[in-house]
Amino acid sequence: MNETAAIKTDGLIKYYGNLQALYGVDLEVKRGEVFGFLGPNGAGKTTTIRCLLDTIHRNGGSVEVLGFDPKEDPVAVRKRTGYLPGELSLEGNMTGRKLIHYFNELRGKQANWSFIDQLAERLELDLRRPIKNLSHGNKQKIGVLQALMHRPEMLILDEPTTGLDPLMQQEVLKLICEAKEGGATVFFSSHIMSEVETVAERVGIIRRGKIVEVSRPEALKARALTRARVRFKESVDIDSLGKIEGVSVLSKDDSTGAYLQIAGEIDALIKGLAKYPVRDFHTERPSLEEVFLAYYGSNHA
Amino acid sequence: MWTIIKHTLRRMRGQMIGWGIGLGIYVLLMVSIYADIQQIDFETIWQSYPQDMMAFFGDALWQFNTPAGYLEVYFFNYMPVIIGIFAVGACASLIVGEEESGTLDLVQAHPVSRTALFWGRVIAFAAALAVILLVTWLTWLLPVGGSSLDLTVIEFLRPYLPLFAELLLFGFLALLLSMLLPSARLAGMITGGLLIANYLMVGLANINEDLQPIVDYTPLHFYQGGDAVHGLDWSWLAGLLAVAAVFTLLAWWRFMQRDIRVGGEGSWRVPLLKGRKQAAS
Repeated sequence: MNETAAIKTDGLIKYYGNLQALYGVDLEVKRGEVFGFLGPNGAGKTTTIRCLLDTIHRNGGSVEVLGFDPKEDPVAVRKRTGYLPGELSLEGNMTGRKLIHYFNELRGKQANWSFIDQLAERLELDLRRPIKNLSHGNKQKIGVLQALMHRPEMLILDEPTTGLDPLMQQEVLKLICEAKEGGATVFFSSHIMSEVETVAERVGIIRRGKIVEVSRPEALKARALTRARVRFKESVDIDSLGKIEGVSVLSKDDSTGAYLQIAGEIDALIKGLAKYPVRDFHTERPSLEEVFLAYYGSNHA
Repeated sequence: MWTIIKHTLRRMRGQMIGWGIGLGIYVLLMVSIYADIQQIDFETIWQSYPQDMMAFFGDALWQFNTPAGYLEVYFFNYMPVIIGIFAVGACASLIVGEEESGTLDLVQAHPVSRTALFWGRVIAFAAALAVILLVTWLTWLLPVGGSSLDLTVIEFLRPYLPLFAELLLFGFLALLLSMLLPSARLAGMITGGLLIANYLMVGLANINEDLQPIVDYTPLHFYQGGDAVHGLDWSWLAGLLAVAAVFTLLAWWRFMQRDIRVGGEGSWRVPLLKGRKQAAS
């Protein structure tokens, strides 16, 4: 049993028939951490998550969630976990309150109703209405509520803010932060970079069923391509800047300005610019989205 | 498991009420006309019918004037097919229906083992079926019927046991097939087809003796129907229940092994249909 890791996977492999979905996923999420799990559709995010809960059986490797192997003791894992699926489907013929009541009974009445009502109020959710009459966003709120209602040790959220308006997205992110403050580990997948940047302490990027990077969001961003805008006091040979190691010219404004992209350290560019009369120079920090795209390029999964 | 049973029964309550009321009204009609029907000389009528047609319906028609014959012809003979529609439909989608609608993924993320989920559903289905049969049994017992049909409560009850076993058998076959085939609809269609084919074969075997060796190994051959009024064949009943139990255990084993599907992954297509789909696209 690993005391420090909330989630630990070693060489996690999953096949759907002949199709291999996960090619040995190695992942470690610390207890009390908010971990963002990034990847485009089909990369293996949801498959990994469902292996963590054993709603699908892994074909290889090992998985430990809160010290339990989900394959051996799925009930122990699920008891301590709140889960929001990426493709949320709810029974339509019940009111929100009845559905939450059912889920709470499945949990052995772990949740108390004053907290449920409090969550419903914060999410501006009317639990008296039948599910089938709710909008997509309101159904998503029910999904969020049922994941949080029993104050789980671990939150596994697959695209938690899908279908929510920007204000409600903020509220959900706030709830995630509060759960973390309460000691919960949060593992959430998303393709909305801004929300990952806001709440995640570490980020894992999955590509074609393999983890390609695990890092802090800032470190990922720092390692990615930097862009710089430079203006000169007089005309210079802009094309010569492209010959500096790691520098490429994205665009030029006649011969007195340029927009550059720098791979790796910026030192060579600074030294190269010293030969010219520089009027203005500023760099742009890449967004996590740009980092993500740098990993994936225009290809998906 | 109790939560699963309760919830499944709640979901099936519409079907229970619909089937219970529908069959109850039918039984009420049957018991109310029994006394009048006794006045009709059916023997003469039957003799005017083609022999093959009479053979199809078996010996029961000739005992139409007895309570057992009446129950057989008007109720127990074809109730395996009629209530079988409910049993097969309900069992084919007992678990896979929820899987196809995508709701099972979230339910299975709660602290409920697959075993508890499976057996909770199975018990709830058996209870729902029992309730439907109970409604019809109680309707037969209404004073108007009880007095005119001249059977005891136990005699009325006996034919229900083979009917219950037969319905469980076909229902659990549908459940097993739903675990093996790509969709609940396909499992229901195949099981329903087998049920109807078996029913027709039992009748046709009375006309064509060559069919008898095949029919001898089919579930409806071991179905007593209205004959059970006179006494149960316990070995047939036990056999039907044993086969139903085997189907359920195999379905449970398969459910434990397989993945919960969300978006059709891990599914497969019948090759013939796959070819047609590809040709269409």
